[in-house]
This record gives sequence, C-alpha cells and structure tokens, in this order.
Amino acid sequence: MNIVHHYSTHFHWFQLETSRKENSRVTLRLVCRNAVRSLTAEVQEVPKETRPTVRKSNAIARGQLKDFGKYAAECLPKYVQKVQITAGDELELLIVPEGVVPVLQFLKDNHNAQFANLVDIAGMDVPNRPYRFEIIYNLLSLRYNSRIRVKTYTDELTPIESCNDIYKAANWYEREIWDMYGVFFSNHPDLRRILTDYGFEGHPFRKDFPLSGYVEVRYDDEKKRVVVEPLELAQEFRKFDLSAPWEQFPNFRRALPASETVETEEKKK
Amino acid sequence: MASQTVKRAIKEVKPILSLDREEARLRVLNLYKAWFRQIPYIVKQYDIPRNEEQCRRKLREEFTKYDNIPDIRVIDMLVIKGQMELKEIVNVWKQKGHVMTYFKDTIEPKPQDFLSKFLNGKE
Amino acid sequence: MAGVKATTGLTGLAVAKNPHHSLGVLYSKILRTLQKMPESAAYRKHTEEIIKERSQMLKANACIETVEKQIGCGQIEEVIVQAENELILARKMLNWKPWEPLLKQSPPNQWSWPPVQ
Repeated sequence: MNIVHHYSTHFHWFQLETSRKENSRVTLRLVCRNAVRSLTAEVQEVPKETRPTVRKSNAIARGQLKDFGKYAAECLPKYVQKVQITAGDELELLIVPEGVVPVLQFLKDNHNAQFANLVDIAGMDVPNRPYRFEIIYNLLSLRYNSRIRVKTYTDELTPIESCNDIYKAANWYEREIWDMYGVFFSNHPDLRRILTDYGFEGHPFRKDFPLSGYVEVRYDDEKKRVVVEPLELAQEFRKFDLSAPWEQFPNFRRALPASETVETEEKKK
Repeated sequence: MASQTVKRAIKEVKPILSLDREEARLRVLNLYKAWFRQIPYIVKQYDIPRNEEQCRRKLREEFTKYDNIPDIRVIDMLVIKGQMELKEIVNVWKQKGHVMTYFKDTIEPKPQDFLSKFLNGKE
Repeated sequence: MAGVKATTGLTGLAVAKNPHHSLGVLYSKILRTLQKMPESAAYRKHTEEIIKERSQMLKANACIETVEKQIGCGQIEEVIVQAENELILARKMLNWKPWEPLLKQSPPNQWSWPPVQ
C-alpha cells in the first residue's frame, strides 16, 4: 500500500533466498523454454557475490527480464518512458499516465506476456516532485512464472484511467488508493471510501497528513453518541529529512545500485 | 513571479469532469439540489435533534464555505466528494453521529478576548 | 483416450469440440486485424510471427496432442483463449496506435530514487 510496503518486499527477498534455491532450477527451466521466443538471452559477466546474506543475482533470469523489457518497450513506444531492473531481478516499466489501460491490456492479452493476475496496486507519495504520486501495478504471469511492475505518476488533481475493465481485482485496489491518497480514477464503477470511516476528511497516506490526524473521536455520555472534535495538539506541516545523521545500514553502503536501466531501441538511436 | 504565473496559465491539464466554469457551476447546483431534496428524508430517517430549516441552513453553509475557488478541477473534486457523502447518507451508511458531525455541537468556540482566554487557562 | 478428452481439468474451461477450426478462424481474424497496422509496428511484426508459427504447427499436425506439445503453451483450449485475447487486444490496439512516438517525456527527476531534495 505505501512506501514502507514497497521496501519490505525487498527485504523479504533476502530472507527467502535459502528456501528459494531448490526451486530456482525448476523455475529457470520453465522460463527458458517459454520466455520471449524470438529474442536470445544475453548473459553478462557479473562479479561473483561472496557475501552470504545477499541474494545472488541470476544472470540468465536477468537477461530474460531485460529482453522482455525491451520487447514491451518496442511494442509500445508511445507509452513506455523507461525500463529498469531493480533489486536484481524485478522488471519495471515506467509509463506515461495516459498509457495505463493500453499497457496493462497488452501485458494481459499478448501471447508473450500473459500477465493475467493483478497482484496489487500500490501508491507512493513524494511531495517534492511535480507529480507527487506514483501508482504502482504489480502483475503476475502464471503461464511464464514471472512478475512485472508497471509504474506511472499523477498529482492530486489529475485523474488516472481505471483498469477495472481489464482486471476485476482493480476495483478494491483503486478504492484503496482513492481513500489513502486521493487519486481519482476515471470510469471506475464504484469509487468510494473503503478503509476510513464515513465522514473522515483527508487522505491518510499523504505525507502532509499529520500523524495524529486532524480530529479526535470520543463517546459523549451526555449526547449518548460518538462525537468528533478537532485535535488540540495540531501538528505542523512536517518536513522530512530522509538522510539520518548516522548510518543505519553500513553493510549496504557498497551495495550494487538498486536499479539498472535497460536500454531500449528508442534510446539507442 | 510574473513569469511563473504565465507558465501556470499555459500549463496543460487534464480535466476531471468539467471542461469550463459553466459546466462546473451546473454540477455544483445539481449537487446542491440533490442534497436539498434529501433533507426531509434525512430528518425523518436519522434521529437527529435538528429540523429541516436548520439542516438547510447547514447545507448552505457547507457550500458557501468553498465560495471562491478558481480552479475548476478543485471544484470537480469537491463535487465528487460531496456526491459520495450524499450517497453515504441516502443509503444510511452513515449513522447519527456521522450526520451530527456537520453541526459541530460539542465544539466550544475558542476564546477570543484576553479575559476569557485567561479564565480558560490557555495561553 | 483415443483423441477424446473428457475434461480439461480447469474450472470453467470446456473441452473444445473442433479446435482446428476455431483456432484457424481466430488466427485468420488476428492476421487480418494486424494487416491494418503499419508495416513497421513492432507489435505487428512480433504478433504475426508467433501467429504464423502456431497456425503452421496447427496445419501440419492433425493430432491435437502433438500440436499442444509443439506450441508448449498449455492445452489447446488454453491456446484458444490466448488467441481470443490476442484478437481483442489487436482490435483495441488499432484505436490506441501504440507504435507512435512517445507521448511525453517524464518530468525531470520523476523516476529518480532516492528522491532529489
């Protein structure tokens, strides 16, 4: 749902590594056979990883993801701004906001993609960007056993096209985003609040939403009902300094860069 | 500063619902009428210590609170939210407490002059 | 067995009566839709390639099981569903015209992480 969630997936991967090792060979063979057929996987030499806790990068799977990223960017040059691989083997398509429906439809229905499952839609708020919200779609292809992430951007007042017609699962996910971030989805059949109480004002996952909220709720014995009152200790607009004065993860200092851009045809020209 | 405002004017934006001010105004009026017509039912359905007249006054107050909004998209967004709230009331998803939140009857006005501030024990 | 399959084993997916015929129709429809796209469109090229490959396999073998094995994309009923999806997609693509140049570049630093202060 939020940015914390986004991080936690990455950390989760590290822990999972040992248990995944046995499975990886089987998975790989499947992917090898079925991955984008006309393109050959390019395998790069990667420096050998010796740290025991870091998930080893799989050059073949990475090459295939890259190839698929190139394939998608080649097929949809109108919408794909950038293709990148993060955390070693997570493919991301960064697209223009107008292209949400075409890109998702392509990824769902194309023979080489078949990402038939929408796993999750997440939001992210970075207030100092001109388009402060990121909307992140996580897709899963059961056929090819692979995942892809589609990201786009918007602000408080720019509507995003709803993908409810493509994925039925999007209905509640989009309601969540609307409730938590206040991003409006056009053509959504039933856009209304899903997590907050009726009469709740504001969007809690926005960075400028105070931690304590704007109102407090208590039961009034005289009125025999719950009353809502403004909060006494209102918090000022919070400014975030993301860099801490001390280092939290010194071991990760020399870690490989988090994301790697995949060169697409357009850029090479 | 001047160049900034010029840039702001030229910036192309995607409309939410309304294309011009007149359309946005009509949407607001429609929403107002819908609320206005719902008021008798609200008074009947919800056990609230308010009559229709007081509800109408509150409705007008809630709308005039946003009198001077220049951006059509902000107006649209407010209309959308108002529409959703109306739906919550029509379907009786809201309860008595939620409806009474509009009237703010338990909130004491903040002390203005020195003496009452002093007596209140604040500042 | 003898060519008659009782069930696909997948909920909601009935055994296809005449897969050769329905796939042939679908593939020719897809190819006709693709022909309306410009020659240079990458989507057209890649899709035509895979559709032609599959329809050749289909024509070459009368036995469904061999076709399934050659295509390697599940049972023939699933292949039919894939073809239906591709047809819908191709028709929508004609309206969207995704082969055109990029609509707009992202604002500077939109995709940078960690975010620029």
